[in-house]
Amino acid sequence: MIVPFGHVLAIAVILFVLGLTCTVVRRQLIMILIGVEIMLNAAALVLVGASAHWQQVDGQLFVVLLMAVTASEVAVALAMVFYLRHRQGSAVADDFNRMHG
Amino acid sequence: MNAMELIALTPVLILTLGATTLLMVGAWHKQVIPLVTGGIIVALAAAGAALLIQPPVAEIAGMFGSGPYARFFTLFWALSAALVLALSIRYIHEQTIPAGEYTSLVLFAATGMALLSSATSLVGIFLGLEAFTLSFYILIAINRHCDFSAEAGLKYLVMGAVATGFMAFGIGLLYACSGSFHLPEALHGLQTGGALRPWGLLGWGMLLVAIGFKISLVPFHLWTPDVYQGAPTPVVSFLATGSKGAVAAALIGLFASGPSGWGDMTSLLWILAVLTMLVGALCALMQTHIKRLLAYSSVVHMGTLLVGLLCQSRDGLTAGVFYVVVYCIASLGSFALIASLADHGDEPGALADWRGLGYRYPVRGGVLTVLLLSLAGMPPTAGFMAKFAIFHAAIQADLLSLALLGILASLISFAFYLKVILTLFTPNEAVAERHSGTGLEHTVLAICVTGVLLFGVVPGLLFDLIGRILP
Repeated sequence: MIVPFGHVLAIAVILFVLGLTCTVVRRQLIMILIGVEIMLNAAALVLVGASAHWQQVDGQLFVVLLMAVTASEVAVALAMVFYLRHRQGSAVADDFNRMHG
Repeated sequence: MNAMELIALTPVLILTLGATTLLMVGAWHKQVIPLVTGGIIVALAAAGAALLIQPPVAEIAGMFGSGPYARFFTLFWALSAALVLALSIRYIHEQTIPAGEYTSLVLFAATGMALLSSATSLVGIFLGLEAFTLSFYILIAINRHCDFSAEAGLKYLVMGAVATGFMAFGIGLLYACSGSFHLPEALHGLQTGGALRPWGLLGWGMLLVAIGFKISLVPFHLWTPDVYQGAPTPVVSFLATGSKGAVAAALIGLFASGPSGWGDMTSLLWILAVLTMLVGALCALMQTHIKRLLAYSSVVHMGTLLVGLLCQSRDGLTAGVFYVVVYCIASLGSFALIASLADHGDEPGALADWRGLGYRYPVRGGVLTVLLLSLAGMPPTAGFMAKFAIFHAAIQADLLSLALLGILASLISFAFYLKVILTLFTPNEAVAERHSGTGLEHTVLAICVTGVLLFGVVPGLLFDLIGRILP
């Protein structure tokens, strides 16, 4: 492998932290979902890197499965955002806080 | 994948194909009763297949086991799905929830649970978990007549999506450390990982965060009360039992699957268990809404389950499986009871609504009392045996302080269960009229109460079975 495995892991961790920060800091639902996407891409990067490191194809196969799962998750999530926006006229997370206890 | 593996996969195939068929049929024929009855038949057929078909292979595609442990939980989740569907019929009819979608989503969720409980590889765990999480995203928000339903759906979606990110990254790191997705090898690689071992431990920690979100361990439990309060009650009965139970079953399978490579993780799990039990119990004391109260009660239960896992002994794991089964029966029964009192979406939520209901509906008041006593852990119910087995195993494994803290949390729990029971039997002239419940709903309640009392009086039945199926 041309790139040392440590570098791949480092980049992936940076990506993951960026994605997590995005989900925690941003209040727009769309931005939260983008943050989650970045976290999942970081995971895919680790898997591809590890697959090359171990000279196996398993990790890359899992990335394909991960893409499929991510796609279905995004489909459901966007439908939900659309539904909420249609219903309550807002796509900001803080507007949904009517349950307390 | 060959014919042998397909035979071993029959119960899951029945669930998936049945769910797909019902989804298609539901697009044209929208009558509630035939569709949901079809769903119940599919679930029962899957349960029958899991019971009767002897799998010719031990493992399917290197991802899912087909041993007795997997078959037991496939059977259990399929039966739970059947019970949930049985108590949903009136609810979805009154709330005009599309029956085809609802039924097929419940069956898909059961498929995911069955796969998760039988997973023998990290890929299997991920796919099983996602299969039912995606179904629940929709199921929680499916009630268009209730604003809380949409809000609960959103909360579960955001938390679930973040948990998915943690789980995928954790699995990636575990694979990077060990070079295998298959659990025994992955855990072995964690022990001998060399320079990559810290990454493997980080990965295991992230996996734990994701699992913590799903079974709502403190501090990842914040979504639980809101989602339970907002979601349709039959859905909550499945969410509280199946989704938590399946993750717990996978966790038990993980602990049973080989030499523990997580010696360094025990202290972390210890802290999580103690925090979950104590914070959950104290928060539950302050709740005035029955569904939020049961949500915190489920938090406490999952903490207690962790105690069983921490024993790292066969006794502890056996007690853990027993605990999961008993918790699921009692919890499903409690939510089924709330659903049976609901009339056109108007259900007793605040504790004040429950005042005197025990006199107005004595049978169901008695049923709720028995189920709550089981959740609290009072003899002669199964809950007592479950807690006793867990704490006994903990003391045997030299975890005296953990056992004592667990018993303290159980004592605090008594207070809030007792509060509900006392409210139920407080004289009240102005008690509101509730729905008298359909025959199917009463059947579901009867099954749950029978289970709780049967396993309380003769726990040996279940303990012997678990002793034989545990890998």
